[in-house]
Amino acid sequence: MSVAAPPTHAAARAVAATKIYGSGDTAVRALDAIDVTFEQGQFTAIMGPSGSGKSTLMHCMAGLDRVTEGQVLIGETDLSTLSERDLTLLRRDNVGFVFQAFNLVPTLTAIENIMLPMDLAGTAGDSDWVDEVVGATGLADRLKHRPSELSGGQQQRVAVARALAGKPQVIFADEPTGNVDLNTGAEILGFMRNAVDEMGQTIVMVTHDAVSASYADRVVFLVDGQIVDELADPTPERIRAHMNQLGA
Amino acid sequence: MLRLGIKSLLAHKVRFALTASTIVIGVAFVVASFVTADSLRSGFDQLAEDINTGTDYTVRGELPFGEITEATAPAVPAELVDDIAAVDGVEIAKGGLFVDGVIPVDGNGEAVTTFGPPVAGTNWLEDESLSQFYLMEGRWPVGGGEFAIDITTFEDDGYDFELGGTYQIVTPTGPREFTLTGAAQFGFPENAGVGAIFSLFDTATAQEVLGFPGEFTVISVRAEAGADIAELQTRIEAVLPDGVEVITAADSEEEFSDATETFIGPFQTILLVFAFIVLFVSMFIISNTFNIVLGQRVRELSLLRAVGATPQQVRRSVLTESAIIGIVASVAGLGLGMLGALGIKSLFNALGASLPEGSLPLTLRTVLWAVAVGVGFTVLASLVPAIKASRISPVAGLSEGTTSEERASLGWKRLVSGGVLLVVGLVLTGLGLFGDFDGATPQLSTLGAGAAITFVAVSVLSPLVARSVVSLLARPLQWIMPISGRLARANAARNPRRTSATAVALTIGLALVTMVSIVGQSLKVSFGDRLASAVNADFIVSVNTQAGLPKTLSSDIRAAGIGTPVGFDFDLVQIDSSGADVQATVVQSTLTAASVSDLDAVVDIGVTEGTLDGFDPQTGLLIHSNVAGDEGLALGDEVDLTFVSGDRRTVTVTAIFDGSAFWSNWIIDSALYEQVATTAFDDIVLVRSDIDDPEAARAAIDEVMTGYPQAVLEDRQEFQESVESSLNTVLVLVNVFLGFALLIALIGIVSTLTLSVFERIREIGLLRAVGMTRRQMRRMIRWEAAAVSLYGAVVGVVLGGAFGMATVAAIPDDIIDTVSIPAAQLVLFLVISVAFGLIAALFPAFRASRMNVLDAIADE
Repeated sequence: MSVAAPPTHAAARAVAATKIYGSGDTAVRALDAIDVTFEQGQFTAIMGPSGSGKSTLMHCMAGLDRVTEGQVLIGETDLSTLSERDLTLLRRDNVGFVFQAFNLVPTLTAIENIMLPMDLAGTAGDSDWVDEVVGATGLADRLKHRPSELSGGQQQRVAVARALAGKPQVIFADEPTGNVDLNTGAEILGFMRNAVDEMGQTIVMVTHDAVSASYADRVVFLVDGQIVDELADPTPERIRAHMNQLGA
Repeated sequence: MLRLGIKSLLAHKVRFALTASTIVIGVAFVVASFVTADSLRSGFDQLAEDINTGTDYTVRGELPFGEITEATAPAVPAELVDDIAAVDGVEIAKGGLFVDGVIPVDGNGEAVTTFGPPVAGTNWLEDESLSQFYLMEGRWPVGGGEFAIDITTFEDDGYDFELGGTYQIVTPTGPREFTLTGAAQFGFPENAGVGAIFSLFDTATAQEVLGFPGEFTVISVRAEAGADIAELQTRIEAVLPDGVEVITAADSEEEFSDATETFIGPFQTILLVFAFIVLFVSMFIISNTFNIVLGQRVRELSLLRAVGATPQQVRRSVLTESAIIGIVASVAGLGLGMLGALGIKSLFNALGASLPEGSLPLTLRTVLWAVAVGVGFTVLASLVPAIKASRISPVAGLSEGTTSEERASLGWKRLVSGGVLLVVGLVLTGLGLFGDFDGATPQLSTLGAGAAITFVAVSVLSPLVARSVVSLLARPLQWIMPISGRLARANAARNPRRTSATAVALTIGLALVTMVSIVGQSLKVSFGDRLASAVNADFIVSVNTQAGLPKTLSSDIRAAGIGTPVGFDFDLVQIDSSGADVQATVVQSTLTAASVSDLDAVVDIGVTEGTLDGFDPQTGLLIHSNVAGDEGLALGDEVDLTFVSGDRRTVTVTAIFDGSAFWSNWIIDSALYEQVATTAFDDIVLVRSDIDDPEAARAAIDEVMTGYPQAVLEDRQEFQESVESSLNTVLVLVNVFLGFALLIALIGIVSTLTLSVFERIREIGLLRAVGMTRRQMRRMIRWEAAAVSLYGAVVGVVLGGAFGMATVAAIPDDIIDTVSIPAAQLVLFLVISVAFGLIAALFPAFRASRMNVLDAIADE
């Protein structure tokens, strides 16, 4: 293997990651030899038009799916070497998730949902850290409620707290504000921003919304399975400008 | 709409197959019961026709009352044969003997017995066509030292018989040695012997050894060609003395067929009852499946409504779907039922009943029943879901998500309707148990309807408590398996209606099993108590065959100086107590004959009035306090007894007893009975030993019993065990049939869980994404099923316990007087139910664990 020693500050990275669906004439290259590194303590947004491969990239980086060629590493672990079971354990212990919707198990209370990955691992977790995360959600008085008794925004905050509670190497968020109104979205993004700034967490977020992406430290633009551009310290205007450029 | 129904079915093959399989089993039961019964009927009818071929009339002693199947008719004098032969128009008349309880002993010293059919001695008739036997091997026996045996026993590898060999035969006149000269077939050569065993002698020998010197039990008559059957019957009647009757071949065929119907009918009914139980349980499964599936198809159905389908069309499409399932299941059930019938017949034959050869007749009636039952139950079960589906609004799909978390209406409506049903069900059940009925059919129907309505009521009420009870029962799960257990518990409790509907199948099965086991256990305990308190005998000698033990056994034991033997003979009697009380009517009952002076030595009958001292064997009568009350009889009252021999005796009530015992309510002395009996057998012999050492006593009785190889000697402990073990056999048989209801329940859990897993696909994806391993996933689903099963089982055991105790209370005290709950067994039922749930969940759990995480979370 010709992989150089991984830089210690990378939370997750892809090396020539390629994902091909189907075979022969109908083969589609969803990811085309992507190289990307997500630094520790950074909030990265992945943007791109529909079908650009941004969700596929996220799934592959997060160990939900496997790349066809190339490598994906979480910390120093090469996901392609892991068995299905080890991949599951890696997700449980080292990766956090926030989905667009249906983030919470309806039969569990808010706090049970937050503790879910640790309960699955059979560990108690870092209780000071969990207290801090729970405190940051501002939901201390709603912890015993079930998801159906929480608003959409509250549910997403619980989901972010769940992702944070296990102190994962990296958190992946897939359109976390896609199902909520603007104000609630801002609240959730603020919470995520706070988790990076105050708690030193690493977040990778897929979004198609320029305002959401502007909360990130860095925006990566994806088109046809390739990274075509990057933007540091983005603002909504600069992002839109880039998007228009790419679309043209 | 028809096409839509078919398309929908094809799209969900697994679900369709699971739903249909429950009905297939029910229909198969119906088909098997009809086909087996029809096959038995046609086989026996053929046999009756064959054995009567060449015989136009049968002359025999007339029973003064009762059926020929219940009692042995008196013999007729041998001279009658000549009188009949002399009647103008009679071609030939031959006297025959047929005596049950003639037991051959094979070359290995093993007595040839059956579990029910006769082991009889008979004579062969010199006239081939009048005879019911056909010589297959060797030659007919001639003279006092020869016999022939039926071909089935001869060819049975389990027995050792060879032509020319000398064998012992135990006859009513004692054991004797005979040389085997031939083997004969009862009925036509292609007929099997229905399990009966025959020893054949020539006529003179038969009369002597069977204990009927100068008598026959039957005379077979053939008319001359062209005779008028009815007219000749009248002329034969003219030469017959009182108490002898002549019946035509047609009559005897009908009698034979009525006799066989007395066991074929109940057999068919019992199978149909189990079929109904299976179908009833299936209905809950089908209804549940339709409910869940229609819930998942809300979008599709509301789209149909939006584009213009009327509610009636939606309803019809659902009912069409269920009708198609019903038809397919009926056809499959027909096939499975035929196989089942084949299996039942081979099982019977394996048990020793050589049933007549015969095809398995599939009649139009059977086919119509199969289809009616299959389609009827399926459509009935889908009726409520169909109506619900038709009420889905055209916009329902727009607002609702992919899954419909049904919220059970847990309100007053459910409570009231369930409560009313429960009351109706319990009242009917109580009425069935304790009410007065004319015959068993209306009583059992009331009982069945009551139980069915109670079960429906339970299924209506169950969702009200399911959540809290399941949570409670499943609480230990989360101590053992923190997260999988907690999720399993939550999932089992999340949808009370679905949980209830899934569990109710198991509830019904287990309620019935529990009830049966409580009644069985109580019966055993009551029997044991009675044996301990009322029986003083040290040994019990019994016999497997119906005929009983020769009376000589008692006298031989007594002669050997072992102790006091008392033989008990039970027979039918007609009792006229009108001399004592004008209100009293003539009743038919079972009479016990025993040596009253020795009674105390072997049993304590619990005399409450009068005394056994100075009992006059010729005129004394002992009655149970129950009949004393029912018939208004008191000490000193005279009672007229009519015996099956036609003899009448007047006896006087000399004592009243109230011991609940194994004998009847009427006891006379065997000395009196011997004068009027048509047979010379005891049904059971109790022995009070005078030898202190039990081993020595046993050895001494064994020595006497070498002359009675058919007799079984048991001490009290062994006797209790053998009675319990035969009871256990019945219980096991019942439980095997009820096991089919449990099988349906298992299928129900598989089906519901599969659908639930499909419904919760996103949740499963989420759990997998955040790190639930496949093993944890499987464990979660398995224990969810276990929790649902346990809930169903607990409700079933509680309900069955109540039913069981009510049944015990309803059974008269002289049969069951103690309620006994087999606690360990009930706990075992619960454990098995949990195992059931775990097994049922194997497939759904496997599917859930193999689900692609990405597909699951991407599912929109």
